[in-house]
Amino acid sequence: MKVLHRKLLRELFAAKGVLAAIISIIAVGIGCFIAMSSTYDNLEYSRKNYYRLCHMADFSVELKKVPIGDLATLTDVPGVINILPRIIFEVTASLEGVEKPLSGKVVSLPAHENAPINSIVIKQGSYFTDQRQEEVIVNDAFARAHNLRPGDRIQLILNNRLQDLLIVGTAISSEYVYLIGPGGLVPEPETYGVFYLKHNYAEDVFGFEGAANQILGQLAPEFQNANRVRQVLDQLELNLDDFGVFSTTPLEQQSSHWFLKSEIDGLKVSATILPTIFLIVAALALNLLMSRMAEQQRTVVGTFKALGYSNQEMFLHFIQFGLLIGIAGGIFGTLIGYSLAGAMTAQYRNFFEFPSLTNQMYPRVILLGMLISVFFAVLGTFRGVRSVVRLSPAEAMRPKPPLRARRILLEKIQVFWNALDFRWQLVLRDIFRNRTRTLGGLLSATVGAMLLLVTFSMYDSAFALLDFQYDKLLLSDIDIGFKDDHDYSAFYESQQIPGVDYAEPLFQVGCTLKNGIHEKKVGIIGILSDARLTIPRDTAGARVEVPQTGILVTRKLADILQVQAGDSIKMIPVSGDRIARQVPVMKIIDSYLGLSVYADFHYLNRLMGESSSLTSVQLKTNPRPAVTRQIYRELKQVPAIQSVNSIRDQKDKLQEVLVEQMVVMIVVVIIFSCLIFFGSILNASLISLSERQQEIATLRVLGYTPAEVGSIFLRESLCINLPGILLGLPTGYWAAKGINIAYDTELFRMPFTIGTMSWVYTVLLGILFTLISHWPVQKAIQKMDWLTALNVKE
Amino acid sequence: MPAPDADALQPHLPGESPVLLSLKSISKTYITGDVSVPVLHHVDLEIYDGEFLVIVGPSGSGKSTLLNIVGGIDLPTEGSVSFQNQNISEFNEQQLTRYRRENIGFVFQFYNLVPTLTARENVIVAADISDSPMSPDDALELVGLSSRVNHFPSQLSGGEQQRVAIARALVKNPELLLCDEPTGALDLTTGRMILGVLGNLNRELGKTVVIITHNSAIGQMAQRIVRIGSGTIAETSVNPHPIAAQQVTW
Repeated sequence: MKVLHRKLLRELFAAKGVLAAIISIIAVGIGCFIAMSSTYDNLEYSRKNYYRLCHMADFSVELKKVPIGDLATLTDVPGVINILPRIIFEVTASLEGVEKPLSGKVVSLPAHENAPINSIVIKQGSYFTDQRQEEVIVNDAFARAHNLRPGDRIQLILNNRLQDLLIVGTAISSEYVYLIGPGGLVPEPETYGVFYLKHNYAEDVFGFEGAANQILGQLAPEFQNANRVRQVLDQLELNLDDFGVFSTTPLEQQSSHWFLKSEIDGLKVSATILPTIFLIVAALALNLLMSRMAEQQRTVVGTFKALGYSNQEMFLHFIQFGLLIGIAGGIFGTLIGYSLAGAMTAQYRNFFEFPSLTNQMYPRVILLGMLISVFFAVLGTFRGVRSVVRLSPAEAMRPKPPLRARRILLEKIQVFWNALDFRWQLVLRDIFRNRTRTLGGLLSATVGAMLLLVTFSMYDSAFALLDFQYDKLLLSDIDIGFKDDHDYSAFYESQQIPGVDYAEPLFQVGCTLKNGIHEKKVGIIGILSDARLTIPRDTAGARVEVPQTGILVTRKLADILQVQAGDSIKMIPVSGDRIARQVPVMKIIDSYLGLSVYADFHYLNRLMGESSSLTSVQLKTNPRPAVTRQIYRELKQVPAIQSVNSIRDQKDKLQEVLVEQMVVMIVVVIIFSCLIFFGSILNASLISLSERQQEIATLRVLGYTPAEVGSIFLRESLCINLPGILLGLPTGYWAAKGINIAYDTELFRMPFTIGTMSWVYTVLLGILFTLISHWPVQKAIQKMDWLTALNVKE
Repeated sequence: MPAPDADALQPHLPGESPVLLSLKSISKTYITGDVSVPVLHHVDLEIYDGEFLVIVGPSGSGKSTLLNIVGGIDLPTEGSVSFQNQNISEFNEQQLTRYRRENIGFVFQFYNLVPTLTARENVIVAADISDSPMSPDDALELVGLSSRVNHFPSQLSGGEQQRVAIARALVKNPELLLCDEPTGALDLTTGRMILGVLGNLNRELGKTVVIITHNSAIGQMAQRIVRIGSGTIAETSVNPHPIAAQQVTW
């Protein structure tokens, strides 16, 4: 080992405390980067492989009913290379010993061989056999949730008839990586499943001989950009016009893909932003530390240069500090990142159903992490040592000229300045004279507080969403969906179920809303004018009365359609006569899930030429479990029911998932934020301590106790960190706002809110971290050899 | 221990050996902000190969600046410095570095050792960049420090530290040893010992030694003495009877 390397290692060892703090910040930054990038790769590789394995569809067309014979020409549409007609229905299911009515999706598959598009991967048992028609393959998560095995039986209500089916296998499929039922946000495998039936059996039971109600398709690679997909789908919609197209769904809008892709893309963004924040803070801290270290070695630099070392050699020597720190940060970051990626990937396994989702080590990611770590560390070092290394040897060997002790601005305000005690004067002078250090500290505190506030705001927003959705908008306990439009008797019958306190009918109409060139397929929900279980709200959360005529449109949809209250737009139903109607937009409302449109129940009925049709009923029920069980039993007896949604369960499940995820996130961010405060304060204070040894020694000689000396440093920390924390509040507010805007999508939006306690906690935690970080500084003051410091030569 | 007289240097007359380095009309002015401080005014000086020269002057007389210019760690504002017929005052940064690396050994008042390196390592630091270095152990032996090579500067006395610094200057085999107040931080006994070491290097290895000091007593052991005051050379004299370092007293 070269002598200079030994010098390097010994000096690094001597500064181990501060270096550990800086390396920790770097390691956390790199850890975040590696964790998120690896998790991104884990998910993205698994997704790609899985989509390839299952021949994932590039689009689907949902329609009322189409003869399969009429589909042959679809592959003539430019871009379409393969299609698969399927039968797909929402159904209810029941299992022995399970009281709650279960819902799910029936999906038809070829009887003998796996589907060429959206095929399944068998997890247990086998594909269909030739032994019987009544076979079902259930999705694996549902099977696991109910402990179902091949050979078990399940009852499905198919086309109003209860069918007893033999489970031959359990399977997963790339189209249901993230399986959620209608209106759900998180997978609920206990209540919602996918049931694969033989296609010919599905034809029989649904009366779909030689027909299908969904077409899956694949596109040529050159047709896979959003615009071209849209063109193909428009063409298909035109070709299939006679068969009642409900919707055309490109892969980008497929529910499971959308959730999965949003999560994956979100990881990519986070993998850039979060580490950058940490690494900038670390580079700043390192810059301060290295400036000090180089400054302390001024004479050494001068001597080395006098001996004949060149500027480059000196640079290289000091840069090696950064290099080693960067490598150490990179190694620790890799360890943290890899473990964190393992934990994150495991967490994703709870939500996303993949054939295999394992945590891999990606040399590319690690190498990149290392390079980033080294880059930031070297950058910090480079800036820190540049001025000293550039000095001429003669100048470097002269002691640093004393600071030009100019008065700081505050001293000119004499009334204020004279009112301060000596210690405050010391503190303020030091703060204003070391501007880089002060700015570094300020920035770290701002970033730390910002991180806290953003996280708290996400917590607040998530719970505001929950509150809005389930305490303001949807107040029912159970929603029942019917297969077809029903007359009002279905509502009366529901009302009669023992345990139902109150019921309300809903009439949902699928349609295309069109305003000039802007159009969107949506469902209009007709609710009673005095509805108590579905209450549209405005942005402020106030109830919006359903108008006698016209519709209420969600803000997001209004933006897409470019409409305002008072405008009139075209409404073309996807079923029935499909004749365009003009409807006035009466008000813009707020909602966070989907693109809701509300209208008066009777108005919508009139508009559709019906008298009092309904598609679902909302129930307010007695919450006692025995009563709920009784209600479930009753509902199971009604074959016309397509879905039973326990809104109460949905809310509980969402709350459970949110709390679980948020708590983990908050704990992690609090630790990270604490680390930023700790690293930054420790670094700045210890540097200040080493610069002011003589000053401190003098104070000790004068009779100051270590606590009194420490209080000077604490005041300094607080003076820098408090404004930093306060600056972090608006910064955090705008960052949270930015994140909120980034998450504003058609499927999903978050209310933007920051609760009072979030502001309070951010400030309190910031102060707490500042106090905690002062502790090692106080220890260092106590241990300081001030007698020697007094004799230091200048 | 040899007799004191045997330690004394032989007189050395200008012209007896070739000029190693010559300063012609050197001036140096430091500019700090709006203030310019003239330190040297038109100094002419020749340093002869193999001589033991002591430059004496009070604090602020410009002697350190003169030494720095000779050693190539500072450049004159005016005038030229030529070393073995090369004008070093026109050297660029890289050439100056090479000049220091190949030709100059520095010894400083406060030793300027790297505190985190042992005595031996402090010497190796200089040997590492030299084309034909002496063995670091030999250099340490020459200054009488063989037994303390693995000690850190903080474990060495002032005199020992200065001897490490001399070994460090020596190990590169330089033509010229430049010593800035080498005894300034030492007591008389230790100071004499250091001077003795420098005298030996001059006498036995033929190294050209230039000492600058405010202590005119050191001039007694020199072959030539240059007195400097207020940035100019006040007097240059040849010492006809150099005394041994052990006899120098102050």
